Amino acid sequence: MTDKPNPLVIENIEKSFQTGFLNLKKVKAVKGISLTIKRGEIFGLLGPNGAGKTTTLKMVTGLIFPDKGKISIFGKSSSKATARSEVGFLPENPWFYDYLTAREFLSMAGGIFSIPSDTVKKRSEELLEKLGIAHAADIPMRKYSKGMLQRAGLAQALINNPELIILDEPLSGLDPIGRRELREIILDLRKEGKTVVFSSHILADVEDICDSVAIIAKGKLRETGKLSELLLKGQSYFEIFATGVHNTISELCKSVDETVVVEKTISGTRIQVSTSEISNNILKKLVMENIEIKKFDSHKKSLEDLFMESSSNKSDEEK
Amino acid sequence: MGAIFSIGLNTFREAIRSKVFYSMALFAILIVITGHFLADISLHQEKRVLLDIGTGLISFFALMLSIFTGTSIIYKEIEKKTIYLILSKPVERWKFIAGKTAGLLATIFTVVGIMLIFFLLELYLMRISPGTNILKATILILSEVIVVVAITIFFSSFTSPFITGMLTIGMVAIGRLLPDLKHIIQMKYEPDFIRSSVESLLQIFPQLYLFIPNGHDFNGVHVSITSDFVNWSFTFWSTAYALTYSGIFLFLASIILSKRDLT
Repeated sequence: MTDKPNPLVIENIEKSFQTGFLNLKKVKAVKGISLTIKRGEIFGLLGPNGAGKTTTLKMVTGLIFPDKGKISIFGKSSSKATARSEVGFLPENPWFYDYLTAREFLSMAGGIFSIPSDTVKKRSEELLEKLGIAHAADIPMRKYSKGMLQRAGLAQALINNPELIILDEPLSGLDPIGRRELREIILDLRKEGKTVVFSSHILADVEDICDSVAIIAKGKLRETGKLSELLLKGQSYFEIFATGVHNTISELCKSVDETVVVEKTISGTRIQVSTSEISNNILKKLVMENIEIKKFDSHKKSLEDLFMESSSNKSDEEK
Repeated sequence: MGAIFSIGLNTFREAIRSKVFYSMALFAILIVITGHFLADISLHQEKRVLLDIGTGLISFFALMLSIFTGTSIIYKEIEKKTIYLILSKPVERWKFIAGKTAGLLATIFTVVGIMLIFFLLELYLMRISPGTNILKATILILSEVIVVVAITIFFSSFTSPFITGMLTIGMVAIGRLLPDLKHIIQMKYEPDFIRSSVESLLQIFPQLYLFIPNGHDFNGVHVSITSDFVNWSFTFWSTAYALTYSGIFLFLASIILSKRDLT
């Protein structure tokens, strides 16, 4: 492995926008975000609408400029256009030159990278085929469906065979088949050794394919790290459903541990405990007292739980 | 250069796939109608009238095309967010301005070229020899196009198409009427600080009267393509002026765009 710098390093970036009457109001969209994205990983940038994901990605791709902080792409400052020579970018809801065909558009994109025309032609054919729009390659893009436009957008992002691929909400607006295909394409890119950064609020997709994630809310970084580690970090809990006299069950449980949550439900009693040790003790006691156990569940924290906690609880702290 | 060429080619493609070429067809029809009409009523003055009107129409159409195609050229890219797909690639923003300018100029030069072919064909059919003045007039017309395109791109880099259009039309109107405005100021006001300030202020505006085939020379003397037309030295210096003036405006446009957040 060579000592090539990390594909993307973001250090304490901040960005404000002027809004309101005469632009007198200042809104901080990004408040000191730092991230390091390692080679060959799929990195998911999560956050609710207005969290600062797109603003962050626009700063990375040089479309807007950070007020503070530094962004390095393969060790080069993002303020230099040349830093983006190994980057492919698909913006959110990409707009295209609708009078161009996909083939012409890819030819233009390749030309911007100063790639020889023969190479652009060959690469265009490969990408059009791979992304399933070869049949429409010579039709003006104004006639494309949303899914086809997203594929054309991805094709232009890959025309330079980039090492770092940045996709802003690539799965939004796609039907389930389109989402599945795009997920497979992203996984293929990882197999080729590429680094993929994508923003999304479709948590299931992120959970399926990401190696690492960052959760952003209200412009601040809430969590970041390996997805598996983040999920482990979150507390799991156990649920026992029993039928019998509610008060008896409640007393039994409290005698084991005071912190146990006992709730009466329509069909019986729900008991929630935080550790396997306590749950074992309670189960033993219930069996000894001949109380019927209807169900036992072990819950692990999901990405959704993590996302909801990170984006709501910590936002409340700011108020 | 790859980026500038690609952006320029795309701008050219966009223009020729839009309604720009309708104006060319309209001109072709106009010139043919005008030619035949004039042949009947001009009492042996076909050459003078046809050359004056023909070059005047080419100049007018080129100017209109420059203003109306140029007004939204940058704004539209930002508004429609197509610029994201360009500037997220390794392209400096000045190259984007250069590419858009090159594409727009290529489009208007092509239209002027086709109009000129129609015009020369008309002259040939009327058995009128245009002489070298037509070449000088074409160079001046294209020089004016360069200046006006640079002005529209400058305004388009930070304001809306409507305001760009208004400001450009204002600049063009003042630029074409500069000798008359200077004359009015000299006639109406005594030499003082205010008069010299206004005269200096007028220097900011493009000296577009230099490029009109039937306009004024540097000294404000009236010239016509069919009589005492400008010499090659005038043509050269006017073109040099056009390139310098437009270079300054394009440089300013590049600076504005390079500081701008594309939100």
